[in-house]
Amino acid sequence: MFRKFVLIMLGMTLVLAGCSNNPSANGTSGLTKIQLPMGYIPNIQFAPFYVAIQKGYFRDAGIEIDFDYKFETDGVKLVGAGELPFALVSGEQVLLARAQGLPVEYVAAWYQQYPVSVVAKSDLGILIPQDLKGRKIGLPGLFGATYVGLRALLFEAHMSESDVTLDAIGFNQVDLVAAGQQDIVVGYAENEPIQLRARGIPVTEIRVADYVELASNGILASEKVIKENPELVRAFVGAFLKGLSDTIANPEEALQMSATYIPNFADLDANVQKKVLETSIEQWKTDRLGYSDPQAWENMQNVLLDMGLITEKLDLSKAFTNEFIP
Amino acid sequence: MNLNLLRTLSKNNNRNWLGMISLLVGLLAWYFITRYSGIPNFILPSPFSVWNRLLKALGDGSLIYHTSITLSEVVLGLAVGTIFATIVGYGLAKSRSLERVLSPYLVASQAIPIVAIAPLLVIWLGDGILSKVVICALIVFFPVLVNTIVGVRAVPTALYDLMNSLHASRAQILWKVEVPASLPVFLGGLRVGATLSVIGAIVGELVDAEKGLGFLLQLGDFQFDTPMVFVAVFMLIALALMLYGIVTYLEKRFLKWQEKI
Repeated sequence: MFRKFVLIMLGMTLVLAGCSNNPSANGTSGLTKIQLPMGYIPNIQFAPFYVAIQKGYFRDAGIEIDFDYKFETDGVKLVGAGELPFALVSGEQVLLARAQGLPVEYVAAWYQQYPVSVVAKSDLGILIPQDLKGRKIGLPGLFGATYVGLRALLFEAHMSESDVTLDAIGFNQVDLVAAGQQDIVVGYAENEPIQLRARGIPVTEIRVADYVELASNGILASEKVIKENPELVRAFVGAFLKGLSDTIANPEEALQMSATYIPNFADLDANVQKKVLETSIEQWKTDRLGYSDPQAWENMQNVLLDMGLITEKLDLSKAFTNEFIP
Repeated sequence: MNLNLLRTLSKNNNRNWLGMISLLVGLLAWYFITRYSGIPNFILPSPFSVWNRLLKALGDGSLIYHTSITLSEVVLGLAVGTIFATIVGYGLAKSRSLERVLSPYLVASQAIPIVAIAPLLVIWLGDGILSKVVICALIVFFPVLVNTIVGVRAVPTALYDLMNSLHASRAQILWKVEVPASLPVFLGGLRVGATLSVIGAIVGELVDAEKGLGFLLQLGDFQFDTPMVFVAVFMLIALALMLYGIVTYLEKRFLKWQEKI
């Protein structure tokens, strides 16, 4: 009986060891295979990655990408545990993870603007954060980037959560506004406002990025890969930034190249897809692609402290770096 | 006290000890895995860090608040689901044609993954407590329904014959024969439903979280506070065990007469 138990445990250990994803393990083509948690479903917003693959930038860098559309927090944990080298994450995730001792560092900024927006039906005349006073605002939940973005906006406008009524509604913002159950919701600049306008519902939008600069989505790396294989980090970031640069320069080409990666792309509203990409590009543009502004991290830390999501100041110099960008 | 009773008591005591030992071994194994495996705390926290997190959440009142929210959804959902399932189940047990009409819908409703339709229920019913209670009731409905049907159909025909020979009314047959005779099977279904009802409330809370243990779970995940996730999960287990215990108590209380037979 005991022998059987030992054998089962040994078998399980071997299976688990086989599951661990080591970036140094080479694929059949001699390329380093990298599983990349994306944090969202296949979407035109990931065009820079699709373009970088299609144009062979990752291959030239010796990398083969395997997209993994899992939850953002799961990606961060796997990177923190040293199981995966990289993940795509939002800025607040980096600080929350480091506050809990996860050995992770943000190595390249992708979004220069925090992509969260407050979207309101036009007839309400909601144009500035102060207009939100006393209003009910629907948002996916009292956590996540939408909540952080809203709180940052209120913080900048010298308002607090008690000045508004928050209503957790799940990721149903578009449907609930369309059904008349919500008038003001928090979502992403490249999603909800575009979807609602496409349904013929006129809306106004307050972009968080117009009021405060916050560390936004980018590439997270494990301290392990940074220490053991910095060349891989440089190669990965370089290939991604080439894809980003090409997407910004030629959105039409990026749309075509992304088609094969997004299920049912041909059936989606082409105008909406184009608009989503255009809006995303607005948020990616900057003089130096990949650059992290220390002030954006400082601002993010202040918001998280104000929200009580972190309790003490972190060493921000360890949370992000610009050393891997060209 | 006779010898047989003493023997039974000591046997039961031995079994209780077995349960305690099993729990202790589980806790020790958990501790040693976290201590020596090198698995980081945010992947698998140690029993001590979970215990400390529990004390902290109890101290600031957040755990009591969120647990009470989930408990109220569970109790309401369980009540609504059980009432509907009992009424529909009795109707189906009594009428084969009604069963033929409704059974495709009832079986199909069980094939729908509740997690997938939960966001739709939130849109249809609003994001308040109602959507959670309905999700909870939907999960509770089927096991209670099936056991009600089985219980009522299993009532021996001889009992009906006896009641008819005594010119008993419809209500008398219901209360004096059908209810007591089907109660054991019905309570078996309720026991399953009560445990499942906790899952229903959590599924609802995961869709639009602002309070409840589902919210604590998501917040813990968002903040990489894995001990908090464990605390919320253990509270859910405690709720399910408590409900299971209440139904078991009801079984003992109402089915005492069975032992005498």
